[in-house]
Order: sequence, then C-alpha cells, then structure tokens
Amino acid sequence: MALPLRPLSRGLASAAKEGHGGTGARTWRLLTFVLALPSVALCTLNAYLHSGNRPRPEFIAYPHLRIRTKRFPWGDGNHTLFHNSHVNPLPTGYESP
Amino acid sequence: MTHQTHAYHMVNPSPWPLTGALSAFLLTSGLIMWFHFYYTLLLATGLLASAMTMFQWWRDVVREGTYQGHHTPPVQKGLRYGMVLFIISEIFFFAGFFWAFYHSSLAPTPQTGGHWPPTGILPLNPMEVPLLNTAVLLASGVTITWAHHSLMEANRKESAQALLMTIALGAYFTYLQMSEYSETSFTISDGIYGSTFFMATGFHGLHVIIGTTFLATCYIRQQMYHFTSSHHFGFEAAAWYWHFVDVVWLFLYISIYWWGS
Repeated sequence: MALPLRPLSRGLASAAKEGHGGTGARTWRLLTFVLALPSVALCTLNAYLHSGNRPRPEFIAYPHLRIRTKRFPWGDGNHTLFHNSHVNPLPTGYESP
Repeated sequence: MTHQTHAYHMVNPSPWPLTGALSAFLLTSGLIMWFHFYYTLLLATGLLASAMTMFQWWRDVVREGTYQGHHTPPVQKGLRYGMVLFIISEIFFFAGFFWAFYHSSLAPTPQTGGHWPPTGILPLNPMEVPLLNTAVLLASGVTITWAHHSLMEANRKESAQALLMTIALGAYFTYLQMSEYSETSFTISDGIYGSTFFMATGFHGLHVIIGTTFLATCYIRQQMYHFTSSHHFGFEAAAWYWHFVDVVWLFLYISIYWWGS
C-alpha cells in the first residue's frame, strides 16, 4: 500500500516566494548588512572606548566573599579558573602590588 | 519480503546508546573522583567516550537520512518533535539557575549586606561588553535566518556565506565572554552573587559553544551537498537551538546584567 507523501508545509518560509512584505533571503541579507552588522560594529566601538584599566577596588576581607570551604581541584586550590591577579584578590588580599 | 510497506524507520541495532550510557556513568563518577579525590582519569575517559559516542551516533543518523533515505516525512516529523522536546528540557535546566538567581536577589540576606548586588561586589556595566554580546547574538539570529532562506531558495553561495557569518558571530561572543570572565573583579567564589552569575552565564556559554559546533557541522554538511532546498532538518534543528541560546542570553542580560546591577 503506497503512502501518500504529505508535503511539508512551512508558514512564511516557503521556498523562493518573497511574498508581500518580503521575507525572502534578499530581505534578511539586507537586514544583515544594514542593521545587524553595523549594530555589532557600533557596540564594539562603544565597548572599546569604555574599556581600559580602572582603579581596582580596595581590599576588605568580607567573610561573605572569597569563600574557600573546599580547595579548587586545580593548581594550588586557591585560585579560581579565570583568576586575574590584577583584579581578583585572594582571601588574604591582592597578590600583585 | 525484502522491503517495508510503511514509511517509518526501523533502526538497525546500534551500540551507541550503550556507550552513551556508560560514558554518562564515567562522566558523573569522574566528576566526583576529580572534585573529591583530585583524580582525573575517570573523567578524561568519560569525556573521550561521550565525544566518540556523539560523533558516531550522529554520523549514523546522517548516513541513515542523507545516504539511505530513511527520513521520510513522518520520520522527519518525529525528529522535529524530538528536537522540540529536547529544547524544552533545556529551558527547564536554565529555569533552575534563574530560580536560584531570583531567590537570592529578590530577598537579599543580611549576611551579604541586605541589598543586591551584595556589599563588595562591583557588577559589570551592562552598557559595555554585555550590550555588545547582545548585539552579537541578535545579529547572529539575523544571519542564520538569511542562511535559512538562502538555503530554501537554493542559493549555495549565500547560504554558505550567511552560515559562516553566524558561526563567526558565535565565536566572537565566546571570545568576548572569556575575556569578560578574566576581567571581572568578582569570582565564582564571591558568595551567592558569584555562584549565580557564573553558573548561569557559564552554562549559557557552554551552550553557545555547543550551538556553534552544531552550526559548523551544518556548514560542512552543506558543503558536502547533504541539504536540499526542501529537506534540511539538521540545519533547522541547529537554527532552533541557536535561537534558544540567543533567547536565554536575552533573559540573562535583562535579569542578571541589567536588573541585577
């Protein structure tokens, strides 16, 4: 018994039709180069301009921060995975001056 | 009879479900051995076993669908249901971490200062790199839609180009997040703020890497002529997963980066 093949229908995304309002590839390519990528470029510029070394916060040995109930299973067990000695103090204070 | 008279796929016996289950056991017990006894062999074996399982199992699915023609419309419908259900399970996975975040931040304890962010925590400025990350993922949603439409319109050159741009944006996001992780003044050990921040954003980052890998696989398959303009479910599944990753980021950005700062 041959089974009829039901064509897979997809809403607004059917084949080459752009239809009214244009939801075809041409539209999305336009959106990519006119909206999406320029926004990424602008945000990159904005983030870069606002970056740069900030004065690091003063070290206060708060008991609720720099928790060490168990040593980390790597290195000396006292440094987090993305440890940056310039901005991350150990429980005893900053390592580097 | 040597041929089937139905449209369904009776899958041949396969060892990969067993190796998958074994690798899951090795991964879980391996994590315990690493965390508690600083012993890494079990975990390494588990990672290798799960990677091999995934590679071989999905290779077989591609063989069954693309080369052997088993993915008829009802079979594809089942695959669609499967992907949707998987993504729903991932939504619940992230819901847990968002629950933890809101539980801790809506009623901050006196031990951390009685306010959120807790005393001594300097949160990231949501208008700097986090905003860029948002633009990057939203842009990648546009490029992947362009890739999909190009694929449906049988435009090989543009679907490859758009897919490549999507992968590049995913890689850019991962690079940006990794550099942010190295620059934050707070760490995962900085109380409940650090825990909720890095668990939620960390698992999200892992999912970005998974999604980027899925897209890269689609790119390779596209170059090998696996997809047709009307049958490319692997690509659609990758696109759905990618959009899911994007939406999770939007929730993270608004909840943790913006409201939580």
